[in-house]
Amino acid sequence: MHGVKRKQWTQELLKQKKEQDRKRITQYRGLVDKLLDSRDSKTYNMEVFKETTQLLRINPEYNAGWNYRRDIIEHLSPELKHEFWEDELAFSMALLKDYPKVYWIWNHRKWTLENHIDKSVKIWLRELAIVSKLLQMDPRNFHGWHYRRILVAEIEGRTGQSRDGEELQYAIDNTNKNISNYSAWHQKATLIPKMFEKDEIKDKKKFIQDEFTYITNAIYTDAEDQSVWFYIEWFVKNHIVIDALGRDELIQKLQELQENILAINEDDLQFSGKQNNWCLKVLIVLEDVQRNLKVQFTPHSHEYLAQLIEADPMRKNRYLHLLHRK
Amino acid sequence: MYTTERRPSMAERRPTIVAMSAQSVVPHLAGIEDPLPDTTPEKVDVLIVGTGMVESVLAAALSWQGSSVLHIDRNDHYGDSSATLTVDQIKKWVNSVNQGLFSGCYDNAKLYVSTSIGNHNGKYASRDFGIDLAPKVLFAKSDLLSILVRSRVHQYLEFQSLSNFHTFENDNFEKLTNTKQEIFTDQKLPLMTKRNLMKFIKFVLNWEEQPEVWKPYADTPLCDLLVEKFRLEKAQVFELMFSIGLCYNMQTKTPEALQRIRRYLSSFDVYGPFSVLYSKYGGPGELSQGFCRSAAVGGATYKLNETLTSYDPNTKMALFGDGSQVYVTEKVVASPSQAPKDSRNIPNQKYEVHRLTCVVEKSCEQWFSEGESAAVIVFPPGSLKSGNVEVVQAFILGSGSEICPGGTSVWYLSTMQQGSRAEMDLDAALEAMEASLIRESSTDLEHDDSLVQFGPNGETLINSVRLGQSFKQYVPRERIQFLLKLYYTQYTSTPPFNVVDPSFFDINNIDGNGKLIPGASDNGVLYTAMPSGEISYDEVVTAVRVLYEKIVGSDDDFFDLDFEDEDEAPMNKADYENAIEDDEDVDMNVGRHESAEFVGEMEI
Repeated sequence: MHGVKRKQWTQELLKQKKEQDRKRITQYRGLVDKLLDSRDSKTYNMEVFKETTQLLRINPEYNAGWNYRRDIIEHLSPELKHEFWEDELAFSMALLKDYPKVYWIWNHRKWTLENHIDKSVKIWLRELAIVSKLLQMDPRNFHGWHYRRILVAEIEGRTGQSRDGEELQYAIDNTNKNISNYSAWHQKATLIPKMFEKDEIKDKKKFIQDEFTYITNAIYTDAEDQSVWFYIEWFVKNHIVIDALGRDELIQKLQELQENILAINEDDLQFSGKQNNWCLKVLIVLEDVQRNLKVQFTPHSHEYLAQLIEADPMRKNRYLHLLHRK
Repeated sequence: MYTTERRPSMAERRPTIVAMSAQSVVPHLAGIEDPLPDTTPEKVDVLIVGTGMVESVLAAALSWQGSSVLHIDRNDHYGDSSATLTVDQIKKWVNSVNQGLFSGCYDNAKLYVSTSIGNHNGKYASRDFGIDLAPKVLFAKSDLLSILVRSRVHQYLEFQSLSNFHTFENDNFEKLTNTKQEIFTDQKLPLMTKRNLMKFIKFVLNWEEQPEVWKPYADTPLCDLLVEKFRLEKAQVFELMFSIGLCYNMQTKTPEALQRIRRYLSSFDVYGPFSVLYSKYGGPGELSQGFCRSAAVGGATYKLNETLTSYDPNTKMALFGDGSQVYVTEKVVASPSQAPKDSRNIPNQKYEVHRLTCVVEKSCEQWFSEGESAAVIVFPPGSLKSGNVEVVQAFILGSGSEICPGGTSVWYLSTMQQGSRAEMDLDAALEAMEASLIRESSTDLEHDDSLVQFGPNGETLINSVRLGQSFKQYVPRERIQFLLKLYYTQYTSTPPFNVVDPSFFDINNIDGNGKLIPGASDNGVLYTAMPSGEISYDEVVTAVRVLYEKIVGSDDDFFDLDFEDEDEAPMNKADYENAIEDDEDVDMNVGRHESAEFVGEMEI
């Protein structure tokens, strides 16, 4: 591990460590037993509340501890002041810094906000700023992205104003910063159809044209990156593209994309002697889409699949299935 | 004793550092804040002469290893060939060079100083400036940086980021496109170029493991690989080789150039979105001082104003200028710049580095990234009027670096071009920078309707005349005020692109088949190499390590330090984000100041 001092584990040291660990385990188990007893005897006071703090600091994965903590808070809530709720938020934030991927902490933080004594939208907006900062430090934490969507929905509900435009820009900024941010691409795929439906995009045709340019740009920048390819698969199959462009222009865009992917694949072949599996997979998708649009063309999917079976044996059966489908 | 005319030292600048641990207190240094010891020790393991970068790191390494070290310098300041000097110290230094005091190390020094500096009523004081003799930048991922952190010397220093690298091409400064984000979002780059550039960047990060790609080009210049294999265009080839790789000419061989390009790319995002750092208040001069301090904490004895007169390898006695002497049990290591009189064993310093250092009365902040105070400008082969064959590199520091006052900047230009044409190349580069700066910052532009653009709120957009925009036809009415211009030629035994060869340190021992040269005052002395023209610190640690191994017998315990404050995060990001935020914005309107005489003083 980085930044951890190397230690010579002599017999003596090992013995000491075991002894220490034994103590810690006994202490932890004692704490768990004690809390479960208090829970079963329906004890709800500040003292047991503090014990849950102690326990969850040691093990934030212990969801029963979180449940009991919430029970205590609910029972004490008439007496709890603004400061308590703020402390509770600080507690989950401190834990998130050490354990950014523990579901229960995120869950508890959301619950804290929902039950906060301050019912104004202010605390939710503040939370959005916090999660932006968090995502800045760890842009690919899917918990953060999921949590962000919850916050945005809450804020929209409270203000009655859509934040889709801002959120789309946020997602674009993130894919600009890092093409491999799968969460940001996913956010785009979630938002765009919604915005089309709600008529939040003025010039739909231009939007889709620009999106074709954007993804072409992305595959030229990095043809190894699977998040872009996943997004393309989603994008070309979605009804918004034909709705916005109409059949003829869509076919033209698909064929342009196809040519670009072929060029990239050819370039890879020349450079390394190998074809690019992602190019092949998406070329197959593009043929499917065109087939559905009743476009006449000479299909190459079978060649691509034969190539993929050889180059990517781990997914052989999937390719065989595609090869033999009707 | 020291001259009163000097810049504040580290300890004086940071006297109130909150002591997180004993190590973060900046110790005092003999001869600067502390008096020099009255006596010379009777016996030491190693005597080191000269407090340049290599010698100082060596002193620290040996002290912490447990050797007793006596470290002397003939000057009244630390740094020697890596020193950071005030303008008055520069004048003195130029005089010494031209008196032949550093023969074989420096010559041909020419200095112009404006009357605005010093002279009691001048606008600037001599010690407002800290000019490095061998300016350097530090890569975020480099052996020196890890030693700085391991030895805790970084705690004495402050680092700032440098993200702007410009390539001069077609009379234009192009800003570097080197991150995936910049490549992805760049509107001008053709699609296939993006792909080729990204492909190369991915390759170079672990190029050694892909011999099938580069082996056929192992003995050819890198540009062949870039053009034939990666199909890159000239603009990208130049950027990669000269701005990112900081190579010196088109002939740079594939492996060396790949190594250098990777050095930049793997340093990116180590401490933030930049590859390069520099130390505030001065470069190698500041770092040398830091390592001397560390050596002093480790037990080394320091004496300034002390010269080595002679060393006798038979009696192992070293004699000093003040008449004292010391018995040296292991080795005497000396910088060629501080060799004793009648020395005969100095290795030939056959490579020239030509330098031109200017202080300019302009903040130059348009060359810097926002919140920063430094930039590098590279002039690739053939980009200058002089028809340069070798690259000219310019390292620009603004007042945020604390080496010059607000409204001024220091330009360090250097080239590895040998011979007299080097000065022509340096002058041509200076002229190009000057012209560009005038175009970009001229207030005259505001009165020229064809060039002015207005923003949505009616504000004038200076952006339209920023870097990357050429106004060749535009003839400015304004001139740049040079406060100081210093030309000099420096010699080094380290060939361009190389680190010092271990055999270099054998020369003195095997010279004349182990026979001593009669009458020589320096038989048995191990000479360090003079700083090379390399703009980064990369050669330093290798040179020190080789010397260390020669003295100690093995480099196993080289800087094998274990301080108690292990838990403290080494140089955390917030620290110098703060440092960067501390910088005050520099006033742009310097051109309106009363102009000082252009050539005020000239010393030969």
